[in-house]
Amino acid sequence: MSARARWTALGVAVFLALPLAGVDDYYLHLLIMAGLFFLLAAGMNLLLAAGQLNLGHTAFFGIGAYTSGLLGLSFGLSPVVTMPAAAVFTALVGAAVGRLTLRLRGAYFVLVTTGFAEVIRLVATNWMDLTQGPMGLAGVPPFDLGSARWTLVSKREYYYLMAVLAGGTLYLTARLLGSRVGRALRAIRENEALAESSGISAYRHTMLAMVVACGLAGVAGGFYAHYITFLSPELFGFHNTVTMAVMVVAGGQGTVLGPAVGALVFTYVPELLRMAVFYRMLLYGVILLLVVMFMPRGLVHHLRRRAVAPADAPETAGATAEFAHGAGAMAPNGPVLAARGVTVRFGGLAAVEDLSVELRQGEILALIGPNGAGKSTAFNVVTGFQAADAGRVELGGRDVTGLQPYRVAERGLVRMFQRTSLFAEASVLDNVLTACHRLARTRLWQIVCATSASWREERELRGRARAILEFVGLGARADALARNLSCGEQRLLGLAIALAPDPSVLLLDEPAAGLNPVETERLMRLIEAVRGRGLSVLLVEHDMKLVMGLSHRVIVLNYGRKIAEGTPAEIQRHPDVIKAYLGTEDMLAHA
Amino acid sequence: MLAEFVQHVVNGLILGGGYALMGIGLTLIFGIMRVVNFAHGEFYMLGAFFLYTLFSLAGVNFFASSALAVLGVAVVGAVIERLVLRRLRGQAIEIPMLATVALSVIIQNAAILLWDPSPKTIKHVFSPVPLTLGPVHVVWIRVFAGLIAVALILGSHLLIQKTRIGRAMRATFQDIDMARLTGVDVDRVYMFTFAFGAALAGASGALLGAVFWVYPAMGDLAALKSFAVVIMGGLGNFLGAIVGGLLLGVSESLGAGYVSSGYKDAIGFVLIILLLLWRPQGLFGKRSVSR
Repeated sequence: MSARARWTALGVAVFLALPLAGVDDYYLHLLIMAGLFFLLAAGMNLLLAAGQLNLGHTAFFGIGAYTSGLLGLSFGLSPVVTMPAAAVFTALVGAAVGRLTLRLRGAYFVLVTTGFAEVIRLVATNWMDLTQGPMGLAGVPPFDLGSARWTLVSKREYYYLMAVLAGGTLYLTARLLGSRVGRALRAIRENEALAESSGISAYRHTMLAMVVACGLAGVAGGFYAHYITFLSPELFGFHNTVTMAVMVVAGGQGTVLGPAVGALVFTYVPELLRMAVFYRMLLYGVILLLVVMFMPRGLVHHLRRRAVAPADAPETAGATAEFAHGAGAMAPNGPVLAARGVTVRFGGLAAVEDLSVELRQGEILALIGPNGAGKSTAFNVVTGFQAADAGRVELGGRDVTGLQPYRVAERGLVRMFQRTSLFAEASVLDNVLTACHRLARTRLWQIVCATSASWREERELRGRARAILEFVGLGARADALARNLSCGEQRLLGLAIALAPDPSVLLLDEPAAGLNPVETERLMRLIEAVRGRGLSVLLVEHDMKLVMGLSHRVIVLNYGRKIAEGTPAEIQRHPDVIKAYLGTEDMLAHA
Repeated sequence: MLAEFVQHVVNGLILGGGYALMGIGLTLIFGIMRVVNFAHGEFYMLGAFFLYTLFSLAGVNFFASSALAVLGVAVVGAVIERLVLRRLRGQAIEIPMLATVALSVIIQNAAILLWDPSPKTIKHVFSPVPLTLGPVHVVWIRVFAGLIAVALILGSHLLIQKTRIGRAMRATFQDIDMARLTGVDVDRVYMFTFAFGAALAGASGALLGAVFWVYPAMGDLAALKSFAVVIMGGLGNFLGAIVGGLLLGVSESLGAGYVSSGYKDAIGFVLIILLLLWRPQGLFGKRSVSR
C-alpha cells in the first residue's frame, strides 16, 4: 500500500467516523457547508489551473439552487431527480457562457464573469413571478431518496450525503488534474502558444473545465436548496464568489487538496470571528489580505514544501525506444509541406507576398533573409498562428489553410518557437509529456474511471517522453524544473517538446539564436539526426554556418518576396542574395 | 416626447461623466500596473465620505472640502500601493486582484464602523432651482458635477500627454523594461498611477455622492459599472474609458426611463455581452485580447 493510499484511507475513515464520534450538530453543519464550498472551490480551481479565474462562479451555484428548488416546488419532483437536472442545466448554462467568454483571457474573463453574476443576481431579484424576488423562495422540500418516506432529516444524514458528493468531487478533480487534462490546463496557463502548437486546444480544455466546474456548482446548488430549504438572490452575491476564490488561493491553487483545505479553514474562520461581533468583517478582510500577501501559493504548498515529487511507476519503454513512427507516413509523392502564393499584409505593407515554398520528404530546407524579410510571418501562416490574405497551405497534400494551430499540429506539423519557449514551472519530463498530448487516445471517461488502458497509455507516454529526452541529451535532467535549465539546455528541451507530438514536419524558428558554437554544433547534429529518422525540416536561421552546413536547399526572402532558391552553393553565388545582404563578406565569412 | 428623451440623455451624460472618471482610473491602473483593482468602488465611496465628513460634519468650505476629499483618497491609494501592491508585483494576476478584494472588504467595513451604514445626503451649496435650457431642466449640482468631470477628464489627458510623470507613465505602459533602462523610476510611476487612479474614483464619488446618497456600500455597484466601462472601452484604453463611461451613463438613463428601472444596473453588462459577440477586443481595443 503506497503512502498516498494510506493517507487517503485514513482521511476517508476520519471523515466517516466524525458524526459517530459525537461531533455535535453545529460542527456537522459547518462541515457540511465546508463540503458544499469545496464543490464550488474545486470547480473554480479547475478553471484556474488554465489561468482563468471565474469571479462569477456563484451565479452557477445560484442557478443550480434555484433550478433544483423550483423543480421541487413547482412539480413536486424528488431531489434525486431535480439535483442531477440542476447539474445538467447549470453545466449547459456554463457551456453557453463559456462559448461567449472563454476566448477572453485574464482580466477580461474575470471582469466579464463578475458582471455575468451581477446580471443574474438582478434577474433573480426582479423576476418576481419566477423567484419571488428579494423575499426569496421558502419551503423548498428537504432531500429525500425518491420518496417522502426516505427524507433526510438529521444533520448526520446530510453530512453523509455531502461526504459522498465531496468525496466524488475530490476523486474527479484528482483524476482530471493528475492526467493529461491537468497537464493541458497547466500548459495553457503557462504558455498558450506553445500548448496550441503541441496540439492542445486551449478552447476545448478550458471549456471542459468550465462545464465540469459549472456542473459541480449545480450539484452544490441543488444540495443547498434541499438542505437549507430557503433560497434568496443573496446566493448570487459577489461575497460568495470571493469566499470560493479565497478558499482556492489560500488552500493552494492547482493542487487537488488545496480547495478542500481552503474550504475547511475558511468555513471555520468566519465562525471564530463571530466573537468579534462588530469587527468581524473587518478582521475577515484583514485575514484575507494577510493570506493573499504571505501565502499566495496556499497552505497545501507550505505544508509539503519539503515533500519530494512522488516516484512514478517504471515506464514500459526503455530509453532507446523508437519515438518517431508517424514520420514519413504521409505523401509518398510530392511535397510534404507546400505553401502556394501566400500573401500577408499588415496595413498596406506586404510582409509576405506571393510566397511559394515546397518542402520535400526527408529534406532540410532553410528560409533565410535579412531582418524583416517575412520569415517569421511565413512561419506563422504555415502553422496557423497568422491568417493569410491570400494563398493556401497544404500538408501532405491536404489543405490546412486557416486551421487553428492545434489542428495543424494534430496533422503532424509542429514548430519550435523563436526564442526559448517552454512550460517554465513544470518539470522537464512534464514539459515533454504535455507535448505528447495529441498522441493520447484514451477518452475522458477512461481517464475519469481510471481504466487500465488509461494507466497503460500514461506509462507509454512517459516512456516516450523519456526516450525523447535521452535523444536530445537531457535524460539526466528529467526531474529538474524547466526554468532552472541553462539557455542551451532550454533550447534542447524546446526541440524535445517539438518532437513530442510525433510530427512529420518540423519547423525550427532560429534554433541556434543565442547559442555558443559548441551548443550550435550539438544542435546541428541533432537536427541531422531528426532528419535521419524520416522527418522533414523547415528552418529559419541567421547562423549561416548552420544553414549552409545543414540544409539541402535554401530559399532567400527579401521584403516578403522570394528572391532566390537553390542549393547552399548556388545561393552563396547568387547576385541578388549578395545584394540583399549588402556586403558579401558577412555571409561568406560565416559560411 | 423629444424633450423627455433629451432630458434622459443629458442626465445620462452627467452620470456618464462620473462613470468615465471611474473608468479612466481603473483603466490606467490596469494598463500600467496590470492590477485589476477591486477596491475601486471603495475609493469612490471614500471620496464621498471624505467630502461628507469635511463639509457636512466639519463645516469646511464645499469646494475646499471636495479638493481635500480627492487628495485624501489619493493618499489612501498611495499608501495601499506602497504597503500591499508593491510587495505583490510579479505575482500571477489573481494574487494582487484578490488583495484588492480583501482591501475592499476592509475599507468598506471600516467605513461602516466609522460612519455607520445609514445613507446620508450632502446638503451642498447649490440652488435647488434647476437650470432651464428650453425643455431640459438640470439642477445646478448636476451642472457642477458634469463640468468638473469634464475638467478632470481633460486634466487627466493633459497630465498623461504633457507632463514628465505622464510621459513616464506612457513609457511604462508600453514597455516596462525599456522604461526602466531609460531611467524611469518605475516604483514612483506605479505609486503615482495608483494614487491618481484612486483619486479619479474618489472625485467621481464626491461628485455623484453630492448628487445622490452617501453610504458605505455605494461603491459596490459603482465598481461593477466601472468594470463594464473598461471592458467596453478596452482595458488600458484612455479614450475607450471615456466613451464607455458616457455610453453606459446614457444607456442606463434611457433604459431606466423607457425599459425598467429594476434592470437599469444590468444594462452595462447586457451591452458588454452584445459587444463581445461583435468585437471581443472592446470598442477601441487593437491588441489581441489574450494578454
